[in-house]
Amino acid sequence: MKISVRDVGPAKIVDVDGDVDLGTSGALRQTLFAALPETSILALNLGSIRYIDSSGIATLIEVLNDSRRLNKQFVLFGVSTAVEEVFRLTHVIRIFRIVQSEHEALGGA
Amino acid sequence: MTGFQMTFAMASDVRYLPIVRGAVGALTAAIGWDEAECRAIVLALDEAVANIIRHAYGGRSDGLIELQCRETADGLAISMLDTGDPPELSKICAREVGCHQPGGLGTHIIRDVMDSVSYERAESGNRFLATKRLRK
Repeated sequence: MKISVRDVGPAKIVDVDGDVDLGTSGALRQTLFAALPETSILALNLGSIRYIDSSGIATLIEVLNDSRRLNKQFVLFGVSTAVEEVFRLTHVIRIFRIVQSEHEALGGA
Repeated sequence: MTGFQMTFAMASDVRYLPIVRGAVGALTAAIGWDEAECRAIVLALDEAVANIIRHAYGGRSDGLIELQCRETADGLAISMLDTGDPPELSKICAREVGCHQPGGLGTHIIRDVMDSVSYERAESGNRFLATKRLRK
């Protein structure tokens, strides 16, 4: 799994490429928790994630809970069918703000 | 003609997870599930292996996991054996739907996807059993 962080205006965009599972979700967690305090909008690009398991979903829930505590926005975009299925299976799809594109994640229509 | 059967003996190492996913994905497709169903079964099995690594072996990578997948008359039977700490059955619980807590997701997935799930304490270790029917 590859993770990179970009600054775009007031936001930080985290791009992830690969599989998020028990072996890799710790690195994603570390990156997201490091980026969250330093931005007002944290957007996670899931477009190149081929697989996500419950440890990955749990990481996203933890970051979401912390973003609410810190009054930050945590947005997901580029969700593939395979990833969306896992969101639906775990009944968490409604708790996240999920948009189609990076442009929307940054506040555009 | 005999049905598909596959057996792995592997270390409790997270690096095996993608290998198991690849093999089980191919097996479920060969048995006849569609893409979405294959992905769900692969996810459920991956969660079960991850649970053994995390809970039975406490994250240690030197434990043994034996996985057997067998095509049955109506679908797939999965059996996994480990020699780690036995599961505390009273603590194996799925999360509540719609809750914002991160725990219990894996158990929820396994129970939601598979048609039957059980845990046994065998002489040789802890056994996880699950089945999935192929709906024709």
